[in-house]
Amino acid sequence: MTSSFQAGDPDTKAVRVAVSLPAIARSGGWLRTQSARRLGFGYALLAPAALYVALLVAVPFLFSLYLAVSDADVGEQVAGFVGLENFKAALEMDSFWIALRNSVVFFVVAAVLKSILGTSLAFLLLQNFRGKKLVRALVVIPFTLPVAISVLGWKWMYDSQFSVFNWVLSRMGLIGAYGTDAWPVWLGDPRLALIACILVNVWRTFPFSAIVLLAGFTSVPTEVLDAAKVDGCTFLQRFRHVVAPMIFPILMVGFLFDTVFTLSDLSVVYILTQGGPGNATQILPVLAYQIGIQAGNLGRGAAVALFLVPLLAPAMFIFLRNLKRREY
Amino acid sequence: MSTSALARPRTARQKERRRHLLIYLGIIPFVVIAVFPIYWMAITAFKQDPDLYRMTNIPFWFNLPPTLEHFKTLFYHTNYGAWIINTMTISVWVAVITLLTAVPAGYALARLRLPGAENTGIGIFMSYLVPPIILFIPLSRVVASLGLQDSWWALVVVYPTFTIPFGTWLMMGFFKTVPMEMEEAARVDGCGFLGAFLRVVLPVSVPGVLTAVIFAFTLSMQDFLYGLAFVAPGDQKPVPVGVPTELIRGDVYYWGSLMGAALLVGLPVAILYNFFLDRFIQGITGGVGK
Repeated sequence: MTSSFQAGDPDTKAVRVAVSLPAIARSGGWLRTQSARRLGFGYALLAPAALYVALLVAVPFLFSLYLAVSDADVGEQVAGFVGLENFKAALEMDSFWIALRNSVVFFVVAAVLKSILGTSLAFLLLQNFRGKKLVRALVVIPFTLPVAISVLGWKWMYDSQFSVFNWVLSRMGLIGAYGTDAWPVWLGDPRLALIACILVNVWRTFPFSAIVLLAGFTSVPTEVLDAAKVDGCTFLQRFRHVVAPMIFPILMVGFLFDTVFTLSDLSVVYILTQGGPGNATQILPVLAYQIGIQAGNLGRGAAVALFLVPLLAPAMFIFLRNLKRREY
Repeated sequence: MSTSALARPRTARQKERRRHLLIYLGIIPFVVIAVFPIYWMAITAFKQDPDLYRMTNIPFWFNLPPTLEHFKTLFYHTNYGAWIINTMTISVWVAVITLLTAVPAGYALARLRLPGAENTGIGIFMSYLVPPIILFIPLSRVVASLGLQDSWWALVVVYPTFTIPFGTWLMMGFFKTVPMEMEEAARVDGCGFLGAFLRVVLPVSVPGVLTAVIFAFTLSMQDFLYGLAFVAPGDQKPVPVGVPTELIRGDVYYWGSLMGAALLVGLPVAILYNFFLDRFIQGITGGVGK
């Protein structure tokens, strides 16, 4: 322990002798140094984390705004100011518009599918049944498995020739023979590739939706529900006026997280198709990576990535409002 | 009268059985959807190549005896061993950095009544939501200026950008559940602020600290983009980046080795994460440490 902290000891002993509260209040000097010391200690504890986040999240974020209006290049150290040139150039690229459209389609379709699956699963897991713990542990595996690793498994399941889906479908007589047009090539067919990628995202995240929903339901105290029942509320009234307002904030947070992670995730599409065939599965994160790192055009890559901000902003805003309202 | 009294328990039991049947019918498709890809990966890893690449077999079980050949290939002919060591080393460093920064910060924000503590906490947590896809281009410059490009040390520097915010938030919630009286008693007994924190609060917060360590590890394993963008040399990659980028070469896929490599590391992580999933959900939905 350092000497500055020990210096407080005689004072504490004094307080223990004169234990009445007014006595402490009268010794204002002691209190003041105590609170100054507390603040000093607090800021010292906070500083490393705050600095790390400021230097490696906040500053890079601002730096990406700067890069987006510069002609920064991997080879060139000195970047010149080019104004909105990068954004303009992005807007003139066909692949940008395809990526934007695909990102939106990806997000919306995935959100619909995973809310349906997630809600059904949550309602099932709300019931009491034997083996529930095991079932829960099994159904959340897709979410807990590292992304890059599970996507590889799907790449194998979508194999152009040895796809297990095709094996089943062809045994059921639903598709034609290998090599013909009636044999679906999941990742090679522009009409199928995007939905194939979306399905992987849905598979990965529907357990998350279910668990968040479950957390919402179980956060409603049964006493509150019973009270409402005693007061003569019908099931629908209870749901609308008691359950819904209580679980809504939790659902919003879950929704926000999913929005951020789905829209900004590159690994599913990158590992499965790299945006292909053609641009059929091109999405903003993959495009930003290809332009910024593979082609080395940092400025343009940063600009493309920043187009995600308006898509993410509403979710962020809702989240922030929610947190502020919450008391803790 | 007596017959109905006898009949009632049976119908109740029947009802219960029917209820279970319905629930199982509903839940089995979900379990199959969730687990089948993992099963498929696992069986692929142990199948012989002729068994893998033959379309006439029923593929759901072994048609030829299982083999460890794919794992041999992994360890003798690829950098897989190095990737595992990289992954472990990176995780240990990230966990240490996270502990040394997030635990004190969480404590300061939760307990020391700093002015603006709540907003600072929210600010730090919000940085968890700034997606890597926006940060990786500027961070590539940071990594280059530190001279860390092409080494896994780059990831040790970068991963705490998401483990610190999450860890701080988690610890904030955790420290709030420790009774205030404990510190007050310690202070009255002559402990300084640091003493109260280190000797009284920290020892009862071991479960929270452990949770933060686990998340430093599992969240690092979820990364793909940073590893892909910052670490090019084949022997420097962590497992989740090395497997998809180095084991797939052109159009030739070694599916057996690929699946083995993926699951050997992925499954333990998934199981570990599984145990702490509720904490993760509590952490992000705000009901931390309930």
